[in-house]
Amino acid sequence: MKNTIFELQDIWYSYLSKFPALCGIDLRIEQGEKIALVGANGTGKTTLLQLLDGLIFPDKGIIKAFGTRLNEEFFNDHVSARSFRSRVGFVFQNPDVQLFCPTVKEDIVFGPLQLGLSRQEAGKRLNDICEQLNIGHLIERSPHQLSVGEKRKVAIATTLAISSEVMILDEPTAGLDPKTTRQIIDIILQANKKGSTIITATHDLHIIEEIADKIYCLGSNRKITRSGSSRELLKDRVFLEENNLVHVHSHAHRDAVHTHEHEHIDHHH
Amino acid sequence: MGALSFFKESIYAEECASRSGYLQSLDARIKVLIIFLMVLCVMLSKDIYAIFSLYLFCLLLSVSSKINILFFLKRTWVFIPLFSLFIALPAIFSIITPGEEIFGFGAAGFRLSITRQGLMSAGIFLIRVLTSVSFVILLTLTTRNTELLQALRIFKVPQLFVMTTGMCYRYIYLFVEIIENTYLAIKSRVGILLPHKKGRYIVAWNIGSLWQRSYYLNHAVYTAMLSRGYTGEPKALHEFKASVLDWLSLLAVLILITLVLYLGDTGI
Repeated sequence: MKNTIFELQDIWYSYLSKFPALCGIDLRIEQGEKIALVGANGTGKTTLLQLLDGLIFPDKGIIKAFGTRLNEEFFNDHVSARSFRSRVGFVFQNPDVQLFCPTVKEDIVFGPLQLGLSRQEAGKRLNDICEQLNIGHLIERSPHQLSVGEKRKVAIATTLAISSEVMILDEPTAGLDPKTTRQIIDIILQANKKGSTIITATHDLHIIEEIADKIYCLGSNRKITRSGSSRELLKDRVFLEENNLVHVHSHAHRDAVHTHEHEHIDHHH
Repeated sequence: MGALSFFKESIYAEECASRSGYLQSLDARIKVLIIFLMVLCVMLSKDIYAIFSLYLFCLLLSVSSKINILFFLKRTWVFIPLFSLFIALPAIFSIITPGEEIFGFGAAGFRLSITRQGLMSAGIFLIRVLTSVSFVILLTLTTRNTELLQALRIFKVPQLFVMTTGMCYRYIYLFVEIIENTYLAIKSRVGILLPHKKGRYIVAWNIGSLWQRSYYLNHAVYTAMLSRGYTGEPKALHEFKASVLDWLSLLAVLILITLVLYLGDTGI
């Protein structure tokens, strides 16, 4: 029997107590699962991920992680906070937010050092991650000297360096070329193979089948409108169109104009 | 464009710092200490020849560190020493520094003369500024900014300050990039020529917009830090390792400083 990692019961969240972002979310995520959160812009995907990482707290409802309720009191206790942070890693949508240190090396060891690892152990993790992701040549560079793809790889490396049991990724392939997208998918799959639970918010329907076994779709009512296996949901084109995940468009091939569905391959915010 | 030259400068400085020269091979902490001691020696020395010999030593260090000497001279002579020259200029005249006259001339019924003492004090001031500036620029050219920041820890600068400064340094590039892109976006829509009033309006709007972005980024970065276990007590990876060369260099500099100060005082 699998362990439950996250359990959300009737979660409500609003910004400035005025602008609703999530309205009654129920969700259960088991250990080792690959989950994708999909939905149009502004349906609360990022908010939900931040709630799962304990960065914000719900107005109403209960979030449990590893069987314990997540709230401010939980994070005020250093031992609990450290234990949670060393088990859950978050890859932010904007790598410039995630990479805040002057060099890549300092960014990768930041997490392990804050979580109490010795300098030797942090250095060892740095070497392992660099070898695993093939980013050894980047470690002395400053984040501003990296390409978008390199930034994303390093951002994932900063999370993997914590040895997370759970990886939460917010739009990990947005704005990337096909080759780098492939590399990112491989990194995610490799982490899952090693036992990490993967939770990804994405618009990129091309990658979903690989990085997720299960999809949760957030609708404009800021609720989970549907959930199910990736294969099953991706086949339902009417549902995808209703949720702004595909749209029908016309374009020309030489003299012939034809109409077909168009997927949201790539989105920037 | 200013933003572009900022990038070029920083890329060149990084390139200099990664060359395999003498100063680049030293431990950043020892290097900071050596330069600090040299600047202190320049400040304490009263003899112009002693200070000049220290300047020559600085040039020797720059050559041994594979820094192009013409580039180094251009970099160190511009601005600060040049301004110092203008500041020191009045001191050469007898009305400021009386003494033994070397050259005199009359102007508008008023007699001005240049004195030996005046020339000497202005010369000492100028060479002192030049030498100090040269040593500091040599340090920044041969050390990566990130290492320089970490080396500040030897002066007991708190880790929080070092970390915050490092983050500021990292995000300056992001903001410069944003400014550059905003400038290009404006240029693409309105062209280069703008009425002054409109130009000022755009600059003010840009400042406001950048402030808003930095405010948002500030919050986002803090959550990213929290997510990786930050609790208010920063910890950093220090990888400094002082070798025999570092200690020998420090010893040599201490001997040189003692000699310069002793010989300068005894007037040999």
